[in-house]
Amino acid sequence: MLGAAATWTVPVFLEKTFFALDALAADAATQTVTGKDGTILVVLQMAGGNDGLNTVVPYADDAYHVARPRLRLAADQVLKIGNHIALNPKLTGLKSLYDDGHLAVVQGVGYPNPNRSHFRSTEIWQTASDADRTESEGWLGRYFDNCCSGADPTVGVAIGEETPQAFAAKKPTGVTFSHPEQFRFRSSDPDAGRMNVEEIFFRQLNEPSAGDEGGTVATNAGGSIGTISGKAKNDLSALDFLQRTALDAQLSSDKILAIARKYRSTVPYPQGQLAASLNIIARMIAGGLPTRVYYASQGGFDTHAGQINTHERLMGEFNDAVAAFVADLKQEGNFERVLLMTFSEFGRRVQENANGGTDHGAAAPIFVLGGSVKAGLFGKYPSLTELDHGDLKFNTDFRSVYGTVLDRWLKAPSESVLGRKFPALGIV
Amino acid sequence: MLTPLPQSKWNDATAAHLLNRAGFGGTPVEIERTRQKGLTAVVRDLVDVKNAAANVPPPAWAHPRNIREQRMEIKAAKDRGENFQQKVRQIRMMEGDEIVDLRRWWLDQMLNGPAPLLEKMTLFWHGHFATSIQKVRDAYWMWLQNDTIRRNAFGNFGALVKKISRDPAMMIYLDLQQSCQEHPNENWARELMELFTVGIGNYSEQDIRESARAFTGYRVDFTTQQFRFATFQQDHRSKTFMNENGNLNGDAIIDTLVAKTACAQFIGRKLWRFFVEDEPSSAVVDSVAATIRSHNFEMRPILRDIFSSAEFYSERAMGGQVKSPVQYIVQTSKLLDAPLPAPIAAQNAMRQMGQILFAPPNVKGWEGGKAWISTSTLLFRYNFANYLINGDASLPPNIWQPRQGADVGFGRAAQYAQQIKRDPIDVAKLVPNDARGKPRDVVDLLAKRFFPTPPADKELDAFAKYIQSRGPDVTDAALRELVHLMMSTPHFQLA
Repeated sequence: MLGAAATWTVPVFLEKTFFALDALAADAATQTVTGKDGTILVVLQMAGGNDGLNTVVPYADDAYHVARPRLRLAADQVLKIGNHIALNPKLTGLKSLYDDGHLAVVQGVGYPNPNRSHFRSTEIWQTASDADRTESEGWLGRYFDNCCSGADPTVGVAIGEETPQAFAAKKPTGVTFSHPEQFRFRSSDPDAGRMNVEEIFFRQLNEPSAGDEGGTVATNAGGSIGTISGKAKNDLSALDFLQRTALDAQLSSDKILAIARKYRSTVPYPQGQLAASLNIIARMIAGGLPTRVYYASQGGFDTHAGQINTHERLMGEFNDAVAAFVADLKQEGNFERVLLMTFSEFGRRVQENANGGTDHGAAAPIFVLGGSVKAGLFGKYPSLTELDHGDLKFNTDFRSVYGTVLDRWLKAPSESVLGRKFPALGIV
Repeated sequence: MLTPLPQSKWNDATAAHLLNRAGFGGTPVEIERTRQKGLTAVVRDLVDVKNAAANVPPPAWAHPRNIREQRMEIKAAKDRGENFQQKVRQIRMMEGDEIVDLRRWWLDQMLNGPAPLLEKMTLFWHGHFATSIQKVRDAYWMWLQNDTIRRNAFGNFGALVKKISRDPAMMIYLDLQQSCQEHPNENWARELMELFTVGIGNYSEQDIRESARAFTGYRVDFTTQQFRFATFQQDHRSKTFMNENGNLNGDAIIDTLVAKTACAQFIGRKLWRFFVEDEPSSAVVDSVAATIRSHNFEMRPILRDIFSSAEFYSERAMGGQVKSPVQYIVQTSKLLDAPLPAPIAAQNAMRQMGQILFAPPNVKGWEGGKAWISTSTLLFRYNFANYLINGDASLPPNIWQPRQGADVGFGRAAQYAQQIKRDPIDVAKLVPNDARGKPRDVVDLLAKRFFPTPPADKELDAFAKYIQSRGPDVTDAALRELVHLMMSTPHFQLA
């Protein structure tokens, strides 16, 4: 993939080690399950506060039609999944998933003392903290720290410009990129081809220097490339740590680029950022990147005014992107081992506002889908008349969803990640 | 107590270390000048700056506005059924422009201002009293807090905490301005203890509840954008706080906290982590705390002590700290002898590297140290170096895509694409034409400039070979590539 030059610039011992370690890890007693053939979680953030009421619609509830004179979706438009509950008309793909037994709808998800600031509520969801506590590490970061030590840096992959706070960890791990071809070192002369002289020297300079304190790459640590002679990353000197990360970056960049070049989806994807992100994820999964958690996001849900058209478009984009993603996973035989979970920092106010929009709310439904997901409605649809400051009251703590996914899907003890046990849900 | 650095240890390396940590680095010329001046004189210059140094002229737009009136106008237009969205958008755009400019203004102070340590301490306190534009949503308030911090950065810690308790940005960030007798808000009270003074484990939930009552009545005036005190909102009843009893007010709570042994320890440890090393020994923390207490929480004496101590110049500490993103940007501009990156490019880079001024991730501020570095941020640093050295021609075509989202100041990348023009650096400033004879000499000259400690021979050899591989003549382009290679190493990320 890298041309002849690479065979000597990436020393053979490293290449061997890199692949040998995967094999070693598989045999070791303390093996770290990788996403190469283990289960995979995809987290999809709907940023801005998705209107839960017009996503999973309580179409049979009079209070809904009273509170939403302009925004309401009529009973003959919506896609019914129960006697009272229906999906937004644009969510045709999700309806099929529901009918096929692959979509769980968790209703009334939220947390005590809801915060209505985008910034703060997003942080609460990302760190899985109580509303009155501030945590630095994200819930996925704590999962990486607690359950994936020694794992490949690509154990977590976020598609986007910025690493989500959910990935924030004591030992930073995971990679973030929006375009695989940008997640790599770019040499000074952009026209000099893929492997020019500068890049060759760059590679030499970013290898761990053999003989330095800390030793060479371990072949016996039972982990993968993230360890030096069994030393944990946080015990290293700053320079050792940097060298280790530089090597990780180089190797994961090579791997990601190689997969991106080799694996192209045959399933057509729609236009749009979310579809592009899910497409990259499907290709990385197909290519066997050892990732356990992928993260993608869709923006624009802060619909204070003129919600009807905006929300319809967003639902359409979401549905079409997810439908293509699912088709792609099925085609590659990966649907059974992928679980996709949506979340938004809050739902929206029950009563529509004077500008044909809705203001920041609280509890909302989330979707969990995948080949191994148990379909159905979970939790209870919150009452539209017994409100908290005009907002729906939650009945399922979002950390119940996280906990279930951790315990039952990623096979990680949720207590060590979430700090305590939350009631499990039957979604998987 | 800390041990003073022996005279014999004062040399180019220690001088460079001082400039790195007590400021934003130095060029070889500045290092030479610093060494010649002598440690005592240099520390005096850094710490005993005139009060006038804190008188930094504000950005042109930074003056109070009548926010109440602005909001009422919008509401009135809304009520009249007029199109108020455009007005809201206009205000948002202005806010976005202002925060970009505020970041430019501060980076410029760090790079070009007369008092680097004062700016570094201001940065320290900004991370300590972390407050974000994302909630405050007004650049004037963010500037005002920055100004307050700068004016008190070297002064008395207790006095600074009191000023911060009356700082509109902080009051909004931690909901203090909503706190009243009937509903005392505990957000500020909790963080005051957990993050600003004594640290977790040194107070009770009862202390939080009682002190929250003491901080009632603090208000922000939305007409003048200043602090005001609303006596009728204040809880005048008796409170019990850490064994004290009476009609305690906010300042009394702060006095009690600062008097706790845990406070000097907490601040001392944080100072040492910021200026010296990630994992301070308990002995060092004890000495620093003792000095802080013996000088009644005045900051100048402890800063003087730290920068004159042998511990500060220990082998472990020198060149052993990961540069923060802000340090990276400022120091790199200095080392390249080039202007700061365009404001929007600097902002984007801070965002991608994980430290955006005026927008810390949360009230805990930035974790710092190794947390700055991930595979993503490291590769970003390498590629950002390319832009800083070779200019905008080095950027891939689609890197500046418009972003979705409601963030202040981040939403208009497409429009800013024109503002990221940058020329390649003038390498003749770093390597004069007559010094380009031997590749190894060129490498030594540049390595001395760019690395905090001498690189390994293996690295120096690689750099020299690279220059040789680029042909017999050492061209400007080849030198720029060499500088990019040097900056694209783990070693360069350290200071």
